[in-house]
Amino acid sequence: MTRPPGDALPERDGPHEGPTDASPTTASSGITRRLFLGGAGAAAASTTLSQPSAAQPVKARLKVRTLSGTARVKLRINGSERELEVEPRTTLLSALRHHLARPLTGTKEVCDRGNCGACTVMIDGKPQYSCLTLAVRLEGREITTVEGLGSPEDMSAVQQAFCDKDALMCGFCTPGFVVASEACLSKYPDADLETIREQLSGNICRCGTQPHILKAVEAARDTRRGEESR
Amino acid sequence: MSVRKPEWKDRDKMTVLNRPQPRVDGPLKATGRAVYTHDVRLPRMVYARLVLHSYSRAVVESVDLQPALDTTGVVAAGRLKEAGEALIYLGDDSAYAWVAATSPEAARDGARALRAKFADKAQSLVTREASLSSGAPEIIEGSRRIEGNVSGERSRGELDEVREAIAAAPTQITATYELPIQHHLCLETHGHVVDYDGNQATIYASTQMVSDSVGEYASLLGLSADRVRVVCEVMGGGFGSKFGAGLEGRVACEIAKELKRPVHLMLDRHQEFQMAGNRSGTVATLSGGVDASGRLLAMTAEVDRLGGVGGGSFPSPPYIYSAEQSATTMRSVHTAMDGNRAMRAPGHPQASFAMESMMEELAAAGGFDSVEIRKRNLEDKVWHRHLDRVAAAIGWESHPNRTGPGREATDGWAEGIGFGCATWRAGGRPGAGAEVRILPDGSVISACGVQDLGTGARTYVAGIVAEELGLPLGAVTPRIGDSDLPPGVASGGSVTTGSVAPAILDAAYNARVAFEERLAESTDIAVGDFTFEGSRVRGPEGSGFDLGFAEAASLLGTRPVIASGSFKSELAASGVLHGAQAARVRVDTFTGRVEVVKMVAIHDQGLILNRLALTSQINGGLTKALSYGLLEQRVVDEDNGWFLNANMESYKAVGMQEIPEIEVILDDEDDRPVTGMAEAPVIPGHSAIANAIFNACGARVRTMPFTPDRVLEALAARG
Repeated sequence: MTRPPGDALPERDGPHEGPTDASPTTASSGITRRLFLGGAGAAAASTTLSQPSAAQPVKARLKVRTLSGTARVKLRINGSERELEVEPRTTLLSALRHHLARPLTGTKEVCDRGNCGACTVMIDGKPQYSCLTLAVRLEGREITTVEGLGSPEDMSAVQQAFCDKDALMCGFCTPGFVVASEACLSKYPDADLETIREQLSGNICRCGTQPHILKAVEAARDTRRGEESR
Repeated sequence: MSVRKPEWKDRDKMTVLNRPQPRVDGPLKATGRAVYTHDVRLPRMVYARLVLHSYSRAVVESVDLQPALDTTGVVAAGRLKEAGEALIYLGDDSAYAWVAATSPEAARDGARALRAKFADKAQSLVTREASLSSGAPEIIEGSRRIEGNVSGERSRGELDEVREAIAAAPTQITATYELPIQHHLCLETHGHVVDYDGNQATIYASTQMVSDSVGEYASLLGLSADRVRVVCEVMGGGFGSKFGAGLEGRVACEIAKELKRPVHLMLDRHQEFQMAGNRSGTVATLSGGVDASGRLLAMTAEVDRLGGVGGGSFPSPPYIYSAEQSATTMRSVHTAMDGNRAMRAPGHPQASFAMESMMEELAAAGGFDSVEIRKRNLEDKVWHRHLDRVAAAIGWESHPNRTGPGREATDGWAEGIGFGCATWRAGGRPGAGAEVRILPDGSVISACGVQDLGTGARTYVAGIVAEELGLPLGAVTPRIGDSDLPPGVASGGSVTTGSVAPAILDAAYNARVAFEERLAESTDIAVGDFTFEGSRVRGPEGSGFDLGFAEAASLLGTRPVIASGSFKSELAASGVLHGAQAARVRVDTFTGRVEVVKMVAIHDQGLILNRLALTSQINGGLTKALSYGLLEQRVVDEDNGWFLNANMESYKAVGMQEIPEIEVILDDEDDRPVTGMAEAPVIPGHSAIANAIFNACGARVRTMPFTPDRVLEALAARG
């Protein structure tokens, strides 16, 4: 990435994991509770929280990086390296849909505000709203979009189940639901109906596929477990 | 045995239709390969956006485009309003400029950079009360003036006489029911990609009327219609709102004419709420009286339709039910907001809520069984059968309170059951055409320009031909959503299936006959004596002619069979559509929270082309009704005229946690031919929920949505 001169960078420019993923009280996260509460401030917390696996506590650093203009980034999308030039404010959703040389339009823009789940992708296997994710922060991460989960000739178990159970109608919410469902079953291979509902509660459908989506995810769960679908 | 005309096979002989069929476009949609208007990418394409004002009524003082034009990435900008022009209502009239740029981000930058100055008009007029208050300014002045902000006043019946009859009835109810403005909430917003090179144009539109819209785009571009092609192979929801180019289409065409580059102009979510239409709100005061048998002797209705600058919709009470006497007076009360558009059964869900609530209140007041009082006032026996089916499925027989509301248990929870009925018109209309090609390698194409909103039209465009030719569904390639193909019909009024399916069958039959004629040339088997079954073509017994379909097709040499077809009314259903739904809810009387436990629906629909897709259509009606009843409403700031919840965070719609157990009963007793299933299932669900809440604990919520605060208020108002 282009770097403005004179700016010292933190040790590793990784994306912010989020407080639930790196508890500030865990020794392995590299921060002690005292450091976190002892006046190091939010900037220090965010710096250190981005390195959950650091072996030692990291010294708090109050550093602000400034990026302006466009930045050239290499993103790993569906297993392939894609190079693009985007502004720092460009969301992953916009990068996928507008800024790739060969756009990936499977991921949909519906609200652009994190309210509907249509833009759901996976980052390192975890579901995330791509409209609330900045593309420039994703170097080194594995980005998976709906296109990466299967092709029409070779669908994943979830995609096949969505077709078999008629869990799609207009199809505009479908990519987001498919990705969220895959993420759900990867995290909870034995997910029951309650778990499935909860894991999919970040996705909105307007046509009314929800009852069939629940059936589809249950069927995909069974297929993935190797059992016969009920 | 020869068949002399196109006709539907016996249902029990069908191998493709009347079965649960996964959609043929499922794989494309599930893998993100389906290309919607929003997804179209063309070389040199620009991203354009409208610039909207957020206040209800204002006057433009100036619009300075230069800061937008100076913004990096902006290619062009234009004014939609000039200095001195008024923005009359909060809707498409709020659009005062547009910006086109090389990226969506740059277009937003340009829109923000624009310097526009407005003088506010005095009053915002976004509520019924404000519009009706004395001294309120008129929203629409001049040549299209709406006097007093009220229009379309119609009265029917003898009001005084009917009121007397109500007063004399043993059991009477008078109540006012209110419904909010609801939004279509199409996940794909409105918009187009206009690809115009100065000579001809392809319009990618998110639309419900591909074939019928060519003329409008042609005229917007100044082209003759033969040079215009409209394409919509998949679209992300319409629900009645996507007919016609709209302001966004007009502006896209203007920009395309100016730039001669492809123009991508889609509304963003806020704009979609502000200007892409809505279901009109309602204030309805109903009064009714029943006799000792529960027969509705007389009813009156005074209805205000709240459709913004539009007229609103509300079919005349007593709606589905019949009354010995009735009198109604209805009018449109206008506010300075976006006009209503058709939304899945326009007016019907509103009328359903008012009528079904009144019937339930009368039942409780007179001690009548909720199902029996409905049957008492519905002559058509199909509704009786439907009510009995859903009553059985919801567990009515063993339910403790059937002639009046129950009460909550000591833990505060109450459980109740409610009902509602649906109606629509069956059938289709002329205008649709189709073409079927049988190619010499045995592949088959079925083409019709109709759009598939998510209903499954693409699948039956293939399926009907497959059935006729004895092939599996996957052996026929459907082509739809293109005005270059034979015409479809506009998807409104639930007429698509009833209009298009007969045309497909007609074309399929004609193709089969033409194929037989070609085969007859080289055999001595007569046309009409061939059998198409199991991917084979056979002559009569003893003829020795028994070929696989592809092998038979190879006898065509290099010349395919091409046959066309058109709508035939005898192949479509006609008459009335019926339906009934029931809901079981639990009410937490401590918090007012309503949990819908189960919903059941039965709708007659003639010949079922795809049992899986039909179930999905009905699921869609039920989930929408749940959402409408419990969650959705437009919220405005009365003083400033702002649309406060023009986003998907604060405009609440149903999510996965609210989906109840759903049982859809497919009505195989209806032996009519094809008809559509789009609007009937969305009509009564929220009414059934309202009645279930009342049945559970006596809380009569007369204002939608049934939010916890309203349920608590209704509980407090119990006798």
